[in-house]
Amino acid sequence: MWVLPILAVLAALALAVVRAALGPTAFDRLLAANAIGTGAIVLLALFGFLTGRPEFLDIGITYALLNIIGILAVLKFFRYGALGHEQDEERDPN
Amino acid sequence: MLGAGLLEWVVDIASAALLAAGGIFYLIGAIGLNRMPDVFTRMHAASVSETLGLGLLFLGMMLQAGFTLVLFKLVVILALLWLTAPLATHALSRAALHDGEKPLLTTERGLEPVDPCDVFPGLEHRLATPLVSEQIAIGAAATEAAAEPEQEEAKPSNS
Repeated sequence: MWVLPILAVLAALALAVVRAALGPTAFDRLLAANAIGTGAIVLLALFGFLTGRPEFLDIGITYALLNIIGILAVLKFFRYGALGHEQDEERDPN
Repeated sequence: MLGAGLLEWVVDIASAALLAAGGIFYLIGAIGLNRMPDVFTRMHAASVSETLGLGLLFLGMMLQAGFTLVLFKLVVILALLWLTAPLATHALSRAALHDGEKPLLTTERGLEPVDPCDVFPGLEHRLATPLVSEQIAIGAAATEAAAEPEQEEAKPSNS
């Protein structure tokens, strides 16, 4: 019962890694990173049920909090997409 | 005795079905993440696995957990993820638009990247206007620069 969803989530994680490696823009990579974070939480919960130790869910809660904070922090840094080149010219609205 | 066994069996079947469906939807979202043509459609595909796939998987786990602390933890994680996934997607798409990422739209020549400012008249002004938090940051930088003008002028402009 647990093996099938675990395999599906593992395959989804592998596909997200592929997207993170290929992704033409930084936003593709961020989207893939977000998907990997969510997948890790689901995988953790499923593994907890597989081994009969659902205490792993506490770690899942922590990962969920860290995931959103991390994504929002990186997005705030990259809001104008200035990836370290000509940052001042792109950021200056005047 | 028999009734309890039957109920357990039904719950097991229902939770296995939910888990299988959730796994399939999770996989569909990940495949869409790879096959979609641009960032915005990829976000759309990723939301499949982050709402439906995640919800079905967690519903299946909740049925297995029963009325325990584990159920509460599952509800907390699901609520957190369902509240924050749209937030992250919204912030990501806004950052992509600010970066000048052009969404693929259907035009007379087929699917091609179109400047969203041509489609939505008010968007150019909104993208050019800094957000409130950045206006505050720019204002703070301006007052800092006004307070120490000699340091700004002393720097030679290399660019």
